[in-house]
Amino acid sequence: MKKRIILSFALLLTLLLFFTAVSISAGSADISLTELIKILLGGGSDETAVMILLKIRLPRTLAAVILGGALALSGYMLQTYFHNPIAGPFVLGISSGARLAVALTLILSARGAIMLNSAIMAFAAFVGALAAMSAVLLMSSKIHSMSLLVVCGVMIGYICTAITDIIVNFADDSDIVNLRGWSIGTFSGMKNDSVIVCAIIVFAALTAVFCMSKPISAYQLGESYAVDMGVNVKAVRIAMILLSSLLSGCVAAFAGPVSFVGIAVPFLVKMLLGTAKPIVMIPATFLGGGVFCIISDMIARTAAAPSELGISTVTAVLGAPVVLIIMLRKNKDKENA
Amino acid sequence: MLEIKNLCAGYNGTEIAHEISFTVSGAEILTIIGQNGSGKSTLLKTLSGLLPPLSGKIYIDGTDKENMSRNDFAKLVSAMLTDRPKTDMMTCQDVVETGRYPYTGKFGLLGTADKRAVAEAMELTDTTELSGCPFSETSDGQKQRVMLARAVCREPEILLLDEPTSFLDMHYKLTFLEMLDRLRRERNIAVVMSLHETEFAGKISDTVLLLKNGHCTGIGKPSELLSKKSLTEHFDIPDELYNKYHG
Repeated sequence: MKKRIILSFALLLTLLLFFTAVSISAGSADISLTELIKILLGGGSDETAVMILLKIRLPRTLAAVILGGALALSGYMLQTYFHNPIAGPFVLGISSGARLAVALTLILSARGAIMLNSAIMAFAAFVGALAAMSAVLLMSSKIHSMSLLVVCGVMIGYICTAITDIIVNFADDSDIVNLRGWSIGTFSGMKNDSVIVCAIIVFAALTAVFCMSKPISAYQLGESYAVDMGVNVKAVRIAMILLSSLLSGCVAAFAGPVSFVGIAVPFLVKMLLGTAKPIVMIPATFLGGGVFCIISDMIARTAAAPSELGISTVTAVLGAPVVLIIMLRKNKDKENA
Repeated sequence: MLEIKNLCAGYNGTEIAHEISFTVSGAEILTIIGQNGSGKSTLLKTLSGLLPPLSGKIYIDGTDKENMSRNDFAKLVSAMLTDRPKTDMMTCQDVVETGRYPYTGKFGLLGTADKRAVAEAMELTDTTELSGCPFSETSDGQKQRVMLARAVCREPEILLLDEPTSFLDMHYKLTFLEMLDRLRRERNIAVVMSLHETEFAGKISDTVLLLKNGHCTGIGKPSELLSKKSLTEHFDIPDELYNKYHG
């Protein structure tokens, strides 16, 4: 058991480092490995190579890792919260809610109402994610079927997306310059200051989630068992909602809608680890999300080069089959029970 | 020792169990007997902290529950309720280990004392050989014994059980009760449980509490309260029906 967990972490870390290196060095401008190392260590003579690497590829790669991890972790939290393996920020409409809030903020900022910066974008997305989450929670108190709850989430997502589209249609083109591109989701065009904001938010949230691994493990057993174990269930619930909204909001603000990572990655990681214990699942899910998104991003930018695929196009192709497998397995469990 | 005074229990302000009072000391078993919907589960859920009491007091060794932290309360009182735990990819030993929760540190890792308590509890409940088995693949009887080990490894002073023998066959019912009987003597645990099987309740309990429509209609020795007259009245059973199938 212990051995399998250590091997799994070693595998995830190796994959992450390997694909980070590949992602930074691969692209239309060839930069050799020695050149790469030189530039990263602060040397490097070729001005363009330095520019491409530090201003384009590095932030993009880091964004894929950080936001991919955030998305997977957010999905894990939602699955735990709802005791539902197919819950995730995208299917529950939380990403779309975040995106709506960001669209509104961008337009307000274009009108000069607020000063825009990465932190404000992230905050707007957090508020939007929380609002959509509240709608889902309101429904979950009335609906006890897990699949129906997901259908409701999808509907909330459609509503938010439709409103976003309407707003975008009525806005001036210049207002929504920043909104372009992320209707399909992408890690491209990430600026270094945005990456820093993401990193601060995501690592703070990751630390907080990891520190909650003990109460989350109790919550996993079900509410009555958590109470029996002396857990303040209400406090754990609120913390889980805030943290998962913060994480998925952050992704929606900076990368747009990225589908299926939140559902597929926690499942794959759980299969790899052979356990669902939060204390190992939380860091492993984060690493797994990073690996999954960095690979998806590489496919997105190379498969149809010189044009780019949307990140969701790739994550859907890789992730949606996993979701189908989960549902089939669940169905089988029910038949056996 | 568990002492409850004028406890009213219910959901969302609707009172289901009214003004219940009793005391259970170490190594004693108090069994609640009542029809479906009489308030047994509501009462046990309130005792375990799952529902806040509507009024009245719960004392553990003389200390008001309200003045205890959740963790301190959990150390003393352990419950086995009817909800199935969600045990995705957990082995039986993993499930038992969750019982040590109030004693583990910030990250929930088990120390040597915790591991010993888990091993002892599994030994006592005859579940040691199940330790590596996935919990979801065990039988109902095995699950119930694992859940008992989980409740017992906490080394609680008070054990609450809601219909622990339902869904078990005769063999498992009897071995389960035998285990419980031994545990409470060896570990001086006060037990409060609900049972549907009045014949078992009569043999194992020190005190029986009759609950009808949320009211305590009698509390005392099983020999006095589980007579034919008392039972037919309590469960609204006509005499001839009782004689035909139960007498």
